Amino acid sequence: MPLFDSDFLKKLEYLAIVSRRVFRGQILAQRRTRQLGGGIEFADHRDYTPGDDFRHLDWNVYARHDDLLIKRFQEEEDLHVYILLDCSRSMARGEPAKFDLARRVAAALAYIALANLDRVAVIGVAGDLVADFPLTRGKGRILSLLKFLENLEPIAAATDLARSAASFVHRSQRRGLVVIISDLYDPAGFEKGVDIVRHHRHEPHVVQIYDRAEAEPKFLGDLELFDVETGAVRKVTITERSLKQYRQIYKDFQESIRSYCVSRAIGHTTTTADVAFDELILKMMRSAGALTS
Amino acid sequence: MIPQLAYPTALALAALAIPIVIFYILKIRLRREPVATIMFWNQIFEEKKPRSLWQKLRHLISLLLQLAFLALLVLAIGEPFFSWESGRSRRIVIVIDQSASMNATDVKPTRLDRAKDEAIKLIDAMRFRDEAAIIAAGNPPRVYSGLTDHQRTLRSAVREIPAADGPTTVPQAVELARRLVVDHDNKRIIIISDGGFSGSTDMLKDESIAAIAVGGAATNVGITRFQARRSLVDPIGYEILVEAMNGSNERVERRIEIDLSGEPVDVVPLKLAAGEKWTRVFEKTSAEGGILKAFFDKPDALEADDSAWAILPKREYQRVILSTAGNLFLEKVFEAIPLVKLTVVQEIAKATEPGAIPAFHRAVPAVIPKGRVIVIEPDRSTDLWDRGEAIAAPIVAKQDKDSPLMAHVRLDNVMMPEARKLSIKGQFVSLAQSTTGDPLYALIRRPEGDVLVITVNLDKSDLPLQTAFPILMTNASAYFAGEKGELKESIPAGSVADVSIPDIKANEPISFVARTPDGATRDLPPASTGKITIGPLDRRGIWSVEKKRDDEDRMKRSETRPAPVAQVACNLADRRETDLRPVADWSTRRVDIARGFGGRPVWYYLIATAWILTAWEWFLYQRRWID
Repeated sequence: MPLFDSDFLKKLEYLAIVSRRVFRGQILAQRRTRQLGGGIEFADHRDYTPGDDFRHLDWNVYARHDDLLIKRFQEEEDLHVYILLDCSRSMARGEPAKFDLARRVAAALAYIALANLDRVAVIGVAGDLVADFPLTRGKGRILSLLKFLENLEPIAAATDLARSAASFVHRSQRRGLVVIISDLYDPAGFEKGVDIVRHHRHEPHVVQIYDRAEAEPKFLGDLELFDVETGAVRKVTITERSLKQYRQIYKDFQESIRSYCVSRAIGHTTTTADVAFDELILKMMRSAGALTS
Repeated sequence: MIPQLAYPTALALAALAIPIVIFYILKIRLRREPVATIMFWNQIFEEKKPRSLWQKLRHLISLLLQLAFLALLVLAIGEPFFSWESGRSRRIVIVIDQSASMNATDVKPTRLDRAKDEAIKLIDAMRFRDEAAIIAAGNPPRVYSGLTDHQRTLRSAVREIPAADGPTTVPQAVELARRLVVDHDNKRIIIISDGGFSGSTDMLKDESIAAIAVGGAATNVGITRFQARRSLVDPIGYEILVEAMNGSNERVERRIEIDLSGEPVDVVPLKLAAGEKWTRVFEKTSAEGGILKAFFDKPDALEADDSAWAILPKREYQRVILSTAGNLFLEKVFEAIPLVKLTVVQEIAKATEPGAIPAFHRAVPAVIPKGRVIVIEPDRSTDLWDRGEAIAAPIVAKQDKDSPLMAHVRLDNVMMPEARKLSIKGQFVSLAQSTTGDPLYALIRRPEGDVLVITVNLDKSDLPLQTAFPILMTNASAYFAGEKGELKESIPAGSVADVSIPDIKANEPISFVARTPDGATRDLPPASTGKITIGPLDRRGIWSVEKKRDDEDRMKRSETRPAPVAQVACNLADRRETDLRPVADWSTRRVDIARGFGGRPVWYYLIATAWILTAWEWFLYQRRWID
């Protein structure tokens, strides 16, 4: 079954319409820069100061009130949306695979952005930047973006969000919205990577995708645990007690993500891999966390 | 004390240890479980370091447990036994009292059921190589299982023992048990009883006899005797002998009721002290007869003696045709016999009615008619005798005391001035004869019917005035009536009974069945004589003898049954069985069967140990999960 079938594309279109109708002027408009200048949309007036361009004087006001006021226009600027997609091997785990949902979510967000004439870039990250779909604009680019996502595969590298984020910020010139789609299984901690993005005046949004079996594993007894990212092996005896401990640790991990994002006003979404991508997007829209901030 | 193996070849199964060890050495590869990240697991297991010594050794311990489990199983299959076990194996005979008192319900459900439970406990506690036998002390004692070590067979035999209403036969059963184990040194006879039999205390002096007492004190009143017989003086009268006994330790009040074929005959209230007996004879009249039943108004611990039966035979009326020129005394004597219907004719009866008895006084036909005939003072010779001269003042020198015809009759003080000498042809019995040897009263036997002849001149004798004469005639009437109307004794439970079967021809044997009081049938041997033996009668009530039919199965289902050929009343009628008071010195003693090696073979303990090891191993396995 192809990752992006016709049904998927229909849902994308639907999401784009919904996003325009519901969030027009609330989401992307807010992303517009506050820089006033040569736009066509009137913003307000201010007093004339010497050196101002006479062309911006509001002659009608001057004629009526004898005041020299300069008309200010809002300068429109494209929103840059960067989607950092975790391509580590851990994303291939899950039933269904977390990577599939991650790619669909990335595609959906990209489509919505392109439909709103924003610029979108998709960057695959693992130990570093592993794939790149450079900034693009216009709905016509969606097919090539989907093809890029379809061809994307998890690679055998440990997640290193810090290093990936560093590489990303040093490469990107324009600030924008950075959507990090990952399971956040970074042994060094996901916070460092998000901080780097944040400190470079990007606006990060974290989408954590996890599998239910990762939150509540069922296996017991003598096992050989195999880390699919690092290849590390550990012989353990898993008892009910250790399972209980695991569940608590995982719960603490998710709580740390939530508290980190809330305390830093970072939008975040946590979901299991078995939800439909459109539901997840709608959920993000409703919570207005993913695309506002 | 080193045990030997019954099946040493089973040790070859120890080779199964090889694959177990190989598997341990090879160590089956652990199941690999891929995970998205191991970082969370690391947090758990980093805390648990270092692992305890126990955890390091547990696999080795597990291996040792498995090997020990295998060793125990192999040894168990080899069936080890100690030498003393084969040498000291015991022979146990369990004697279960099957008497009526064991049906008492003072212990629930009954004493017999409790005895069976005790027997099964004994069987369960048998040692390895012990053998046991089961004997029920019924009527007669019966071996339900010979000596065997197969406990299931023994248990099944115990359960098969039915309740019975007979008296106890424990002494006979113990003798039977002794014969079963006579050749064994280590023998034990265990009696399970309520002790209600003679010599119970003495029996326990024998060291090889043990006892288990069942039952306790119970309230019981029973009918210990119940018989009915026809009156000796009143042909339609009868007498009932009833004896009741209080077989409990307390005073009881009861009402005993007697019915004849469902019709009340008498009701007597009773107040009996502990152990008291009450006896009474009732005199009643009934020509019809029927089944007498006595019963108490209240139930008690033992139902078997709460009711009793007796059969009262029907009296048949006899038609007598008296041909006489006239003798008032003679006529009155026959009229006085209650069962006689008299017809007096002046002339010699030309033809006799079927079933009627012709009585000729003086005038007799030349040929005595066929059938039963009474002749008094014949005036001529006939085909059966030649009439001789008169005998003056004959004196009764001899009378046949054993003959029923002479029962309760004494003729030696009767005045007989004259008699007639008769020369009787053919076989005859002189019931009373004179000093000269002439018969004064004779019974002439002939195939077509017996003839009674009195040669005494009644007109001159005071015989008609004596009480002997009506008794004589009553005896004659009863004799001609055959056995009908005689006493039919009620048989004690457990006995056998001889039953008279009429109309049996020697060359045509007929098959009969005995129908028990509860409706079941038992085959009887074909009868070729007039009597048939049934029994032992192990259930109280009315037993019937019926002709066997080919469609007996259908008869069982049908409500209609053939008329019984004969009936026998069977009652418990045993004071020992009625007496449910605890027997002094009868108590459980010397029942040490379960002592020793726990009553189990060695392999049983090996299997038990193996089971424990398995449980331990399982526990250890579980510990890896729940620790």
